[in-house]
Amino acid sequence: MPPDKNYNLYFDNAATSWPKPEPVYTAAEKYLRSTGGSPGRSSHSRALRADRLVYEARERVSSFLGAENPGQIVFTLNATDALNMAIKGLLQQGDHVILTTMEHNSVLRPLGSLKRKGIINTTVVPASTDGYPDLDYLQNSLTSTTRLVICSHASNVLGTIMPVKSMAEIAHRHNCLLLVDAAQSAGCLHFNVKELGVDLLAFTGHKGLLGPPGSGGLYVREGIKVDPWREGGTGSQSEKDEHPSEMPERLEAGTMNVPGIAGLNEGIKFLQSEGMEQIRAHELSLATRLLDGLNKIPGITIYGPSRPEDRLANVSFNLKNFDAGELAFALEENFGIQSRTGLHCAPLAHKSAGTFPHGTIRLSPGYFHREEEVDYVLECLEQTARHLVN
Amino acid sequence: MEYTYFTFPTTYYALKAEKVVLEQKGEGHAKMVPVPRKISSSCGTALRCCSNEKDIIEELLNTHQVSIEGIYRLEEEKINLKNLLRIRKG
Repeated sequence: MPPDKNYNLYFDNAATSWPKPEPVYTAAEKYLRSTGGSPGRSSHSRALRADRLVYEARERVSSFLGAENPGQIVFTLNATDALNMAIKGLLQQGDHVILTTMEHNSVLRPLGSLKRKGIINTTVVPASTDGYPDLDYLQNSLTSTTRLVICSHASNVLGTIMPVKSMAEIAHRHNCLLLVDAAQSAGCLHFNVKELGVDLLAFTGHKGLLGPPGSGGLYVREGIKVDPWREGGTGSQSEKDEHPSEMPERLEAGTMNVPGIAGLNEGIKFLQSEGMEQIRAHELSLATRLLDGLNKIPGITIYGPSRPEDRLANVSFNLKNFDAGELAFALEENFGIQSRTGLHCAPLAHKSAGTFPHGTIRLSPGYFHREEEVDYVLECLEQTARHLVN
Repeated sequence: MEYTYFTFPTTYYALKAEKVVLEQKGEGHAKMVPVPRKISSSCGTALRCCSNEKDIIEELLNTHQVSIEGIYRLEEEKINLKNLLRIRKG
């Protein structure tokens, strides 16, 4: 058992971060208990308080991501929702789309469905075993009908930080748009949509941004028209049976997840007060410790870039001759450590890494972990590996 | 008291208008109110100010890229909307 019962042994922050900063809990509760009210639906004081809350969150997300205007930030349920919105709202009959093997099912499945319906065709850019997409292959795949290039900012399987800026340059040289899936990177890496050169960026609130599940969003560069794939009540232009065309209402229909947005606002406020450099430095030190420790355990193979600075803190590995699921079960049963196994919803990424179809075990520390907690996990793994191998 | 109402294409701009006036002028210069039913507006919430501050607030909103849909002046009592006069179309 851990030396201290307060050890945080939750190592699945790449799926959902936990714990959250205290104000995240209180903001969601405060909205539910005291504020109430539907944003945009009335002009009474509770509705206006909800309106102001959503407005503040929109401004905060906008400045955090470096967007030109808060009106270009649309709130969604998560990154999957935002990616569906962008993919289904942009692509038209005959469009060609380029993606990489590192994409999550939140990209592969909406594209697969448009492809099966005969609407689009796609090219998948292969990646190295470390997860780097082949940029020459990307360059050579662009055609006159290519409308969109999609890439993740960082791999949820291997942690690899993708060369997004280079991909943006290649896409823009061919008048294509770049859609970035920032599900893993938002709140872990310091970046700015303008500097990266992205046209659309999908993010979720429940991972690095430290907000509640069910919160997230899509950034759409000014001038890009995404058709709404969800239409309905907005509280504005109610006399028409046509959804409003102005952003952000254009892409927001139905009453929002206000407690989620209130929590997300506080999650980002926390990141801003700590400073993204500090957040990244601490997570990088945890990742370095984890990688160094794993390297010393006989029988363990680590996947993804070997230099910690080239990756996020999530680390995928396998123990020779053992099923990842079996290892994860042993870690929780014997030591209370929570990890994630399998394909992590990214089957092609595992093909690139050479770990398909069995997958890997993934440990993803978060900002609130301490070094001694990582050391404890390493001790437990070392002990388990010794026991299982002998 | 004579009031001027600013209406907006979306709730986002109504909220932005409130914030701009609050930040630039301080409290007490404008209020978020339901759009009087004689006015046709995309967004159900309007920004109301005293008519003698209409010009300065309109300029403020334009400077801060707040999209205004319409501006209306209410010439009589607040309750009596008979003489609601549209003075600008956005």
